[in-house]
Amino acid sequence: MFAKDWRAERRARHAVATLVLFAVTTLVVASLALGPIGATPGERSDVAAALLWILLLFAAAAGLPRAFVHEEESHTATALRLAARPSAVFAGKLAWVTSLLCLLEAIAAPLALALFDLELAHPARFAAALAAGGVGLAAATTLLDAIVAQGRGATTLFAALAFPLLVPLAVLAVAATRSAIGGGEGAEAVLQLVLYDGSIVVAGFLLFPVVWNP
Amino acid sequence: MRRLAAWLLWLWMAAVIVAAFHWAPLAKDFLGQSSRILFFHVPMAWVSFVAFMTAGVASLRFLAGRRDARRDRSAAAAIEIGLVFALLATVTGAIWARIMWNSWWNWDPRQASIVVAMLFYAAYLALRTAITDREARARLCAAYATLGLIVAPFFYFVLPRLGFSLHPDAVINLRGKVDVEPKMLTVLVASSAGFTALFFWVHRLRTRLADAEERLLEGVE
Repeated sequence: MFAKDWRAERRARHAVATLVLFAVTTLVVASLALGPIGATPGERSDVAAALLWILLLFAAAAGLPRAFVHEEESHTATALRLAARPSAVFAGKLAWVTSLLCLLEAIAAPLALALFDLELAHPARFAAALAAGGVGLAAATTLLDAIVAQGRGATTLFAALAFPLLVPLAVLAVAATRSAIGGGEGAEAVLQLVLYDGSIVVAGFLLFPVVWNP
Repeated sequence: MRRLAAWLLWLWMAAVIVAAFHWAPLAKDFLGQSSRILFFHVPMAWVSFVAFMTAGVASLRFLAGRRDARRDRSAAAAIEIGLVFALLATVTGAIWARIMWNSWWNWDPRQASIVVAMLFYAAYLALRTAITDREARARLCAAYATLGLIVAPFFYFVLPRLGFSLHPDAVINLRGKVDVEPKMLTVLVASSAGFTALFFWVHRLRTRLADAEERLLEGVE
């Protein structure tokens, strides 16, 4: 599953290009808009953490909900249903979406730090927050994408379903990232984020067979 | 028997209202009579949680059992009613906030989290309208509501604790005890029990109505 999606991506270069361009453009626009204000490093670290996660959330909503919608649109979903077990399909799609998000984070996070001129107080916590937030984001979007792929107006519906589910994740991820940049207490937020991830991933594996097979 | 139960519930709720306004004392540090809203606001928030959990359990049973469409309708009914109660809890909370904090809305963690919970379940209703095939609608909505079983506790119990909150935490707090006067607690528990019974009664009516609608549609087809 994972290899197939990357092969398709290598041929079409649709998702990666869209996501990276979206991330770079948003960050440049934000830093241009916020730069002249003359914010203190403390204010900048608060803004950068929130902005980074808003960017990742919107990138996930704009570029990622193609995992299953694309399969349904190109009528390859039936072939997939016959070829692999549901858990394998979900694991493969989850790995593909996670890898895409990690790639996006690897580009967006250093760029955000550079453009906002910030130093990291806890580099390990920063990486942990990005990784845990990324996995949760990937798991939630993959499961919801499988649900909306079978309905009408998938993209709008996806946004309506995804945002409430992603709010707890975003709040925790922003708290963890902010503390990683600016210092202060925040290890607890990373732990809560991992717990939220765990629940969503387990729910994904349990619910996916029902969602996937008519 | 059911008629008698309905009358008893009516009497119970009437007694709760009288007790809330005339028997229970006023709480300390609250402006005027504003603490009396507690007897309605807290049970409403509680019932919305009960409703969402009821929907989750009905959906889980739908998926695990023989895919009985009645369970799907029961879940949808519970979510509809839960949304009404969540909205009422939000409105009563805003009225109280206006009196105590002099602002209707200030994104207190508790206000924010109930709004997110409402958005989550409102999206369930949007999902229902987006899928035309009945079998697929029941199956996908049940999966979504089951997901709610996992995330709703986050909305109700984890998110409200993130960040500084002005919300009084006498009932649900980290100290693990109830800081309310005995008389107030009695009315609060009686009110919560009454509202919970009210929910199950309305839920039963709504589910029966949905069943009747379904039969009517089948007759038309």
